[in-house]
Amino acid sequence: MLQHFDPTKDYGTPASLSETLVTLEIDGVEVTVPEGTSVMRAAALHDINIPKLCASDNLEAFGSCRLCAVQIDGRRGLPASCTTPAEAGMKVTTQNGKLAKLRRNIMELYISDHPLDCLTCPANGDCELQDMAGAVGLREVRYGFDGENHLDAEKDHSNPYFSFDASKCIVCSRCVRACEEVQGTFALTIEGRGFDSKVAAGQGGDFMDSDCVSCGACVQACPTSTLMEKSVIDAGQPEHSIVTTCAYCGVGCSFEAEMKGDQVIRMVPYKGGDANHGHSCVKGRFAFGYATHSDRIKHPMIRDSIDQPWREVSWEEAIAFAARRLKEVQAQYGRESIGGITSSRCTNEETYLVQKLVRAGFKNNNTDTCARVCHSPTGFGLKATLGESAGTQTFDSVMQSDVIIVIGANPTDAHPVFGSLMRKRLREGAELIVVDPRKIDLLKTPHLKDAQHLPLRPGTNVAMINALAHVIVTEGLEDKAFIADRCDDKAYQAWREFILDARHAPENVEAITGVPADKVRRAARTYATAPNGAIYYGLGVTEHSQGSSMVMGIANLALATGNIGREGVGVNPLRGQNNVQGSCDMGSFPHELPGYQHVSDDTARARFEQVWGVKLDDEPGLRIPNMFDSAIAGTFKALYVQGEDIAQSDPNTHHVESALKSLDCLIVQDIFLNETAKFAHVLLPGSSFLEKNGTFTNAERRINRVRKVMPALAGKEDWEVTQDLANALGYPMNYGHPSEIMDEIASLTPSFTGVSYDKLEELGSIQWPCNDQYPDGMPTMHVEDFPIGRGQFAITEYVASEERTNRRFPLLLTTGRILSQYNVGAQTRRTDNQVWHDEDVLEVHPSDAELRGIKDGDWLGISSRAGQTVLRARISERMLPGVVYTTFHHPGSGANVITTDSSDWATNCPEYKVTAVQVEKVSQPSEWQQNFRAFEKLQHQLLKGDAATLTDGNGAG
Amino acid sequence: MNQLDTLIHMANQIADNNSHYGTQEEAAARVASHLTKFWARSMKQQIIDYLHSDGSKLNPLAQIAIAQMQSSIRPEPADLCG
Repeated sequence: MLQHFDPTKDYGTPASLSETLVTLEIDGVEVTVPEGTSVMRAAALHDINIPKLCASDNLEAFGSCRLCAVQIDGRRGLPASCTTPAEAGMKVTTQNGKLAKLRRNIMELYISDHPLDCLTCPANGDCELQDMAGAVGLREVRYGFDGENHLDAEKDHSNPYFSFDASKCIVCSRCVRACEEVQGTFALTIEGRGFDSKVAAGQGGDFMDSDCVSCGACVQACPTSTLMEKSVIDAGQPEHSIVTTCAYCGVGCSFEAEMKGDQVIRMVPYKGGDANHGHSCVKGRFAFGYATHSDRIKHPMIRDSIDQPWREVSWEEAIAFAARRLKEVQAQYGRESIGGITSSRCTNEETYLVQKLVRAGFKNNNTDTCARVCHSPTGFGLKATLGESAGTQTFDSVMQSDVIIVIGANPTDAHPVFGSLMRKRLREGAELIVVDPRKIDLLKTPHLKDAQHLPLRPGTNVAMINALAHVIVTEGLEDKAFIADRCDDKAYQAWREFILDARHAPENVEAITGVPADKVRRAARTYATAPNGAIYYGLGVTEHSQGSSMVMGIANLALATGNIGREGVGVNPLRGQNNVQGSCDMGSFPHELPGYQHVSDDTARARFEQVWGVKLDDEPGLRIPNMFDSAIAGTFKALYVQGEDIAQSDPNTHHVESALKSLDCLIVQDIFLNETAKFAHVLLPGSSFLEKNGTFTNAERRINRVRKVMPALAGKEDWEVTQDLANALGYPMNYGHPSEIMDEIASLTPSFTGVSYDKLEELGSIQWPCNDQYPDGMPTMHVEDFPIGRGQFAITEYVASEERTNRRFPLLLTTGRILSQYNVGAQTRRTDNQVWHDEDVLEVHPSDAELRGIKDGDWLGISSRAGQTVLRARISERMLPGVVYTTFHHPGSGANVITTDSSDWATNCPEYKVTAVQVEKVSQPSEWQQNFRAFEKLQHQLLKGDAATLTDGNGAG
Repeated sequence: MNQLDTLIHMANQIADNNSHYGTQEEAAARVASHLTKFWARSMKQQIIDYLHSDGSKLNPLAQIAIAQMQSSIRPEPADLCG
């Protein structure tokens, strides 16, 4: 899909979804379009391009510039084609002398207050104002340039990624409208009237001081160089572009990587992307500089022990060294003493290959993925109830929702592009119910109706979902027809009896959740009586000791109300990382082969054995926490980790570090020396998403192509490295391209049999299942039936977390993420996103702060049963009293030093969201932090091959 | 927690979360099925050994389930050994 700079066509106004068609005549051409289509769009659809400046097809028509005026038979004046709907029988003229004169006059006025520096302007070659001046044939400006103007207007360079040059502004309002309509932030406005009108960020300060979230929608919308990427100002216009998929969150936005040679100049959200429709967030749009950061590991390295300097070696030597060590360990400690961990940051093809290497090359099932620590309960819970380990909808489905429940998710920060879409629907009038201990930003959506917030205590999700279900059943709000037609009656009757018990009544649950019963009753009624009720959830659901129960409880609620199987409803897990869904689909879990086929399924296993040419183990392997326990016990001795930073992201850091230090051989494949790599013996350079081919699967099961836009910095794509390791171990792999890996996946995975790179090229993206039954994929799941036949209600008894407060640890810590940083921060910390969040802080409620004499900015020691760390205080009312909150984006923060081993009963997903802690003012970093700094310093010296550090006395932590 | 204590804790936690499924026999079958489906061979063997050697830290439902589960554990395939 290489595109030689042909910008995507802008049809001027959004498409009409009407099924009624109207026929009109434009410039003598008969044109048929859906009713409600603007004359401008109707013309553009037939290659009749009417000049425009203030119109763009991702924004509602505005009718401000008047450049798009047309003549319509029988109508007075010259109406704007952008705001005039096409009507049956209409006769439109887009070009004649009168219109030409009007347009020239308009352009003349614009240009009379615009710098004539086109040759040195950064938008030269990509400027709609310049294009329109040409299109209308402007040849002179009769007014001169000496009158009052804006040419000396101040520039705003405060944003690290784009500049605002007001002298170039034509006040078309596209940026303001993009901020409102596309992003939903309302950070920009037009200040002043008439000649004094100007675009302003917030209350007239600079962009960085405003509510701007740096999504780039305004930059994208700007028809001039007023809002311009600094990378384009520095490097000039790109010369070709390649469509690829973002490597950040689970939304999976499509971008055009706009290039000069092999240098990325900018990432522009791709309008043809089915997940994002041309929108973006600050991470995907701007934070790509990490890919060429000087910290990138560019050479394979090996060492015998972690206190030795790294030694740069050839790929051949590193792979041979790794293979030899793995064989030695297996020879000494047994077949099951080694394993591998895949990452949701890697492509489908890469994760498939790693689990294949483990199962076929290592000859065991000790493969796991970082979904273990985020959405493994989703896989378990949705498979048990709905029969498929995946969300049920498309993102666009939310536009049909009447009531939206958001549980334990913060879409505007963690899934920003989808968060914007959700906000759009909320502005249209959908009702919002938020179930979350924190007052998330979604509750502050401009023009939101009266939203409901159920601020429950951390760890009481299941009590809450049961209370909601109790109200629905006792008040007769169930969808009895749906239940009778679609659900298993025995399971339903058992669940009904369970949920009818008075212990689940909101009045009896109030003491557990802390949420008043009347609020719970109101929320249940709102959801159950909505024509379309949708539930969206995130890690605030899964990362609990009852994460799986809660996922099943959510499915119960959707089944009971018939909110499954059509647009606007459903159960929607918002996946944290870009390829969480894919890494699970690809068989990364120790008990499942690709396509969620259990290893004990003799028929499925036989198919894999035939294609892979080896006998496979029929018992599940170790999960990540079991690997750690076994490592400390001395039975698990070697680990291959691709693209995952378990030392930073997994809970109870002391325990994880002990496990990693217990290994005889740790092989880390990553683009940086991450925290895990500091404990490694083999460091294999990874390739960023810009340097490889493959696919990602987003939270709506959408498989999107990842396309290589530049050569791999270290010479190999990640799948090639895994292949080399397999071959060195004596298990042959001979793929020439990731498309061949996908072909193998399709041959072995029933839900992928129709997927191929050719089909992805043809369709753009595919939502699995894609097979003979659904050749083009399946946007909405469970429309007619469930993969398990009938929906299965599950018994979800509330079992309180063992992680409880007491006098020693009286507060509950919950963790999460923020907009500008991503996960462990390895990527975003190496970009200018640091300006928004250069350290993790502890948010403390004012009443808890006052009790402890804590002021904003104080250093706080946070102690739990697992450990202690120190963070700066931020006083915040976003949580309830008794709850504190932090993020985990900076390794030195040690957020996971305090999180514990407590985990989900079904999947071992860590209970990151509930840790009992005490907080007190301190004056120095914790002991762990001091050791961390020393160890970090040592490891960076060892990275430089500095053997002298061995005698310097820098202690390994 | 050492490895065995972790496994005991996990087994009890699984039992606690399935104890409301019908009779004790039905609940035990669910717990046994869960262990069979999700635990690694070495973990199953350790918890079975513990049940036979002591078992006192396991709650009653977990004990019944582990006893049921031991019959379903598959022997290590001979052609994978070595």
